[in-house]
Amino acid sequence: MSEKHLSSQFDSELTGICSKLMEMGGLIETQIQNAIQALAQFSIPLADEVIQTEDRVDMMEVAIDHALTSIIARRQPAARDLRLLLAISKITTNLERAGDEADKIARRVKSIVEGAFARKMPIGDLRLASNMAAALIHRALDAFARLDLDTAVSILKEDDLIDREFKGFTRKLITYMMEDPRTIGDSLNLLFLAKAIERIGDHAKNIAEFIIYIVKGTDVRHSSLTHIESVIH
Amino acid sequence: MPGLFARLILLLLLMSAGAIVAGLFERTISGVGLGIALGCGLWLAWDTWRFLRFLDWLRRLHEEPDAPPPRLPGIWREAAERVVRLMRQQIRLTRESDRRLENLQAGLQVSPNGVIVLDRQARIEWCNQMACKHFGLDARRDVAQSVTHLLRDPAFIAHLTARDFDHAVTLPGAVGAAAHPLRLAVRLCPYGEGRLLLISQDITIFEQAEAMRRDFVANVSHEIRTPLTVLAGFVETLQTLPLSEDEHREYLGRMARQAGHMRRLVDDLLTLSRLEDSPPPSLDEWTPITALLAQIEADARALSALTTGDGPPQRLVFPDADALAQAGEIAGAATELHSAFFNLVNNAIRYTPPGGDIEIRWTPQPDGGGCFSVRDSGPGIAPEHIPRLTERFYRVDSARSRATGGTGLGLSIVKHVLQRHDAMLAIDSIPGQGACFTAAFPAHRVRAG
Repeated sequence: MSEKHLSSQFDSELTGICSKLMEMGGLIETQIQNAIQALAQFSIPLADEVIQTEDRVDMMEVAIDHALTSIIARRQPAARDLRLLLAISKITTNLERAGDEADKIARRVKSIVEGAFARKMPIGDLRLASNMAAALIHRALDAFARLDLDTAVSILKEDDLIDREFKGFTRKLITYMMEDPRTIGDSLNLLFLAKAIERIGDHAKNIAEFIIYIVKGTDVRHSSLTHIESVIH
Repeated sequence: MPGLFARLILLLLLMSAGAIVAGLFERTISGVGLGIALGCGLWLAWDTWRFLRFLDWLRRLHEEPDAPPPRLPGIWREAAERVVRLMRQQIRLTRESDRRLENLQAGLQVSPNGVIVLDRQARIEWCNQMACKHFGLDARRDVAQSVTHLLRDPAFIAHLTARDFDHAVTLPGAVGAAAHPLRLAVRLCPYGEGRLLLISQDITIFEQAEAMRRDFVANVSHEIRTPLTVLAGFVETLQTLPLSEDEHREYLGRMARQAGHMRRLVDDLLTLSRLEDSPPPSLDEWTPITALLAQIEADARALSALTTGDGPPQRLVFPDADALAQAGEIAGAATELHSAFFNLVNNAIRYTPPGGDIEIRWTPQPDGGGCFSVRDSGPGIAPEHIPRLTERFYRVDSARSRATGGTGLGLSIVKHVLQRHDAMLAIDSIPGQGACFTAAFPAHRVRAG
């Protein structure tokens, strides 16, 4: 993860907190996958599982924050270590929010399944975007483990694709609502659901930005892709 | 100590030479002593020079292991020779163990299972190509990475933390690695001092086969239950209601139809299971195409007359004798081929309305093969159904299929028979304009008459 320190104790503390973060990441990935499956199969048990696991995610977030505070207070890290710890803090927040989005998807799936028009709605159109979002989170976490800048940049580029899918889907829902006003309730549910998927992509993008921050020491939030590429090379 | 005497003698010689030379100039004891000391010093300087050359060679040995040892006499030569021999032995041993390690890794590399070697802190030490494919790892970059940083599935982390080495855990494979999501059985094996070997096996096809088996059993049960329910309903009616003679006859007729449907279903299932179990048809048994088509024509005309009833008859066109003069023979089991061809003709008759056209042809191909084709003027098949038509119990319109006596297994049997004869089934259809089913046989299965 990082270069050797004089204090091997500090080293193992850093590795430990990274492992905790990755464990939380793995849980979030499963949450997202299960939420997507619940949507594809209209499965209420799967959706319930996602909603129940949400508590575990929250507990992990609190535990990581606690460990971070204790490391910063005792070790007073500088330079790259400080950046790593700050980034872990931010990435934890982003992961927790991505978990919240999975929870939202699960809740929406439940109300869509109970609705009258579930089978008629264009749910298949969300498959591509949801798989893309899940893959982005997966690759963002891989890139963090490897501190891999190339993957981080490619994630920043690909997030736009999900945004485009979202816009196309919104237009499609509007046609549904105009054709048959009875589908408005389900369409709104689907719209919120699609928004949640789009947000997961955004969180993956944020994680990618923090990876660049750890390695290069430059905060690349709110900057253009060309600027980010010039920072890296 | 063989070298010792030579050395002592050399030293004594030098000492006495010094004494003699000194004695020539100054014949005193101290003069002779000085000579002896001079001899000793000379010898020491000479020996030190040889030692320095030896040391210089040893120092250079790091950069150029092949540098020849300096030419030195006496014990220095032996020392140099021994160093060279030791080095050669060491190099040979290292090379041997390197080669053994390489062979071992190459062996693990071709393993059909993913293999990851983990150290005591569960960091990746080595992994093979299959493990990279299964988990999306990078064999070079991910060395020394904690395995839980890349295999983050909570089920796996729980398995690793619990140190459960007796059971395998089932995990999804790398995201987007294949068209179908991978399912992996992952097992941890402890070895050495707290080290672990992770083995992953691709169980996607086993899970798919299991799902197919479940579907099949569910389908068969459903298919048998439908006519059975009807049959049981009529039995109950006959038992409880007073019926006239005509009604009696009508109900018994309907019961017979349901029983017949069930018998056909069981027959088809048995045919399919025979096709799966029996050895492939031999290349030595030749079936004449003319005879095969003549039999199918007779059966087809009888069936067509039966199904159209009072309506205008279907126009069945079979190839005439001239067209079949050159047809020749097909290598394979006659009963299987008849079953496959008749199933195709049967489908055409059942789906073509009275007065429609059905054309059966045998077309020799330029490459020596041949095509059996059945073209009808029925309702046709929508393109989205065509890829799935040969699946067991797949029906475009289940109500209609059952009404005409279909079991849902006919095209599965056709596909199976054709596969066993190295032939291909092609389905062409434009909805509303009829369909054309073609069985194309390769050249080695056909011989001209």
